[in-house]
Amino acid sequence: MKIIEAYNLTKKFGEITAVDDLSLEVEKGEVLGFLGPNGAGKTTTIRMLSGIIAPTSGYAWIADCRTDGEIERLHESIGLLTETPGFYEKLSARRNLEFFAGFYSGIDVKVKVEKYLKIMGLWDRRQSRVGTFSKGMKQRLALARALLHEPKVLFLDEPTAGLDPEAAQEVRELVKKLSNEGRTIFFSTHNLAEAEQLCHRIAVIRNKLLVIDSGQNLRHRFFRREVIIRLDNPGGTIAEAVRKLPCVEDLREETDRLILVLAEPEKNRPELVKAIVDAGGRILEVSEREHPLEEIYLKLMREEK
Amino acid sequence: MSRKRIINVLLKEWQFLFTDINSILLVTLLPLLIVGQLIVYAWLGVTFAGEAALNIGIFQNALANLQRATPIVATLSGGEQFQVLLLSQFNLFMLLIPLMISISVATFSIVDEKLSGSLEALLATPVKTWELLLGKALAGAIPALIVTWICAGVFLLIVNIMGWGYLISMVMTPVWFISLFLFVPTITVLSFLLGVIGSSRAKDAKDAQNLIVFVVLPVLALIAIQVTGVIWLTTISALLLAIGIAVVDVIVLRIAVRLFQRESIIVGWR
Repeated sequence: MKIIEAYNLTKKFGEITAVDDLSLEVEKGEVLGFLGPNGAGKTTTIRMLSGIIAPTSGYAWIADCRTDGEIERLHESIGLLTETPGFYEKLSARRNLEFFAGFYSGIDVKVKVEKYLKIMGLWDRRQSRVGTFSKGMKQRLALARALLHEPKVLFLDEPTAGLDPEAAQEVRELVKKLSNEGRTIFFSTHNLAEAEQLCHRIAVIRNKLLVIDSGQNLRHRFFRREVIIRLDNPGGTIAEAVRKLPCVEDLREETDRLILVLAEPEKNRPELVKAIVDAGGRILEVSEREHPLEEIYLKLMREEK
Repeated sequence: MSRKRIINVLLKEWQFLFTDINSILLVTLLPLLIVGQLIVYAWLGVTFAGEAALNIGIFQNALANLQRATPIVATLSGGEQFQVLLLSQFNLFMLLIPLMISISVATFSIVDEKLSGSLEALLATPVKTWELLLGKALAGAIPALIVTWICAGVFLLIVNIMGWGYLISMVMTPVWFISLFLFVPTITVLSFLLGVIGSSRAKDAKDAQNLIVFVVLPVLALIAIQVTGVIWLTTISALLLAIGIAVVDVIVLRIAVRLFQRESIIVGWR
């Protein structure tokens, strides 16, 4: 079931097109990683989808609400963690959350505030002024704020940006927990490893949507699958024997290993192993080259330039 | 739900306002300074100018108007007539109290949200623009209003202490009450709404204050035309003026909502 549907979303600021003709769909319970360089239009897209700014053209539906029409109903259904987790620094953590919770209908403010302060590990600091909080604590508090009304869709705009590794890991753990609860999360980030770790699919944007797919499918789309065979006794006739196989499309030798491109990697592997063994090769390891998401991302960015 | 959201904004603003020592001093000390100043002016006027001041043309017009509105004044001595004339103007000067407070409080209302980065999160909640703006305007207007009324009481008390109590019945005319209980609330709400508009349109607090300063001008003009006797507020004209300002309040709230461009505030302000 689709919970986010965007059709030809375009946003222009004067002469500048921040987002161009973006269309995407997100399934209920999915975590979508939204990647792109600075100024690629990630925040603008999130702002359009969360009804904070209106698109120049195109439209979107979030949880059955038009983002440019039913703003109040839309805001009951979404939670937004903004790029800067702004709070009233002179007020306590609890008071801040109570204030934001007070705008939603049908929620028990005190119960929800207590629940999320506990989940985010901030209950003991509930009476402290937010101004005394570390960046990581503020980010956790911002996440609590976004969750107070149990939204159907959660927009996270670079939730780990500017955090130290420990605080970033804490936020990632929380996002993972939310994902396991089946929440739909639209996750904007610069951190490719983070996106890969947390997201079911990844969208790459540079003013327009460049790709959207799972990490695995993106690898297959952008790089040929390479099988790596590490040998105990490289050299001799092993490479020649392998090269003769009809399923081998490409072969490279590197010190103690053969790097091959196969027509159908899963199907061809037994045949390949047999050919090597028959040629006297002693196999130490058979693996597949995992291209990091970063390579795909950089390739995409280079192509766009 | 709207009432709940407006109260939510209002309570947060109060909590924010009253945790700031500068704001507390502004709301309490500034009005008392204005009252003190008015008393000093009255004393100086009566002591050093007295009856002679009535020879000045502008006061003659005003005195003629005062005598028409309150005939008993004509039976007083020249000096006492001047005293009543001065004291009866001070209800309009009281309007300066909420204006001064609004310049300092309302102008920061949206700018502060922008500076702290909380505005985007706030606009992602189901709060309607008019609920937010009205909540913010009332949060400043209500204390300003209460303080102004307290100041009016303090003013009367000091006037009594100074031995001018026997003139108070000639000062506290229906226009005085209309001014205090209709003008002050409507102009207070108006000035706070304009302050919030200034705050939402401005790029920073200084810019907002520059915009709101223009609100003071019509009030100063009202004081000037009454003191110089160009016009004299009667019960009917004061009532009509109060109703007019109330209507303007509603119109300005609508304008404030239109001018509150969420997009330009969020995107155009960093």
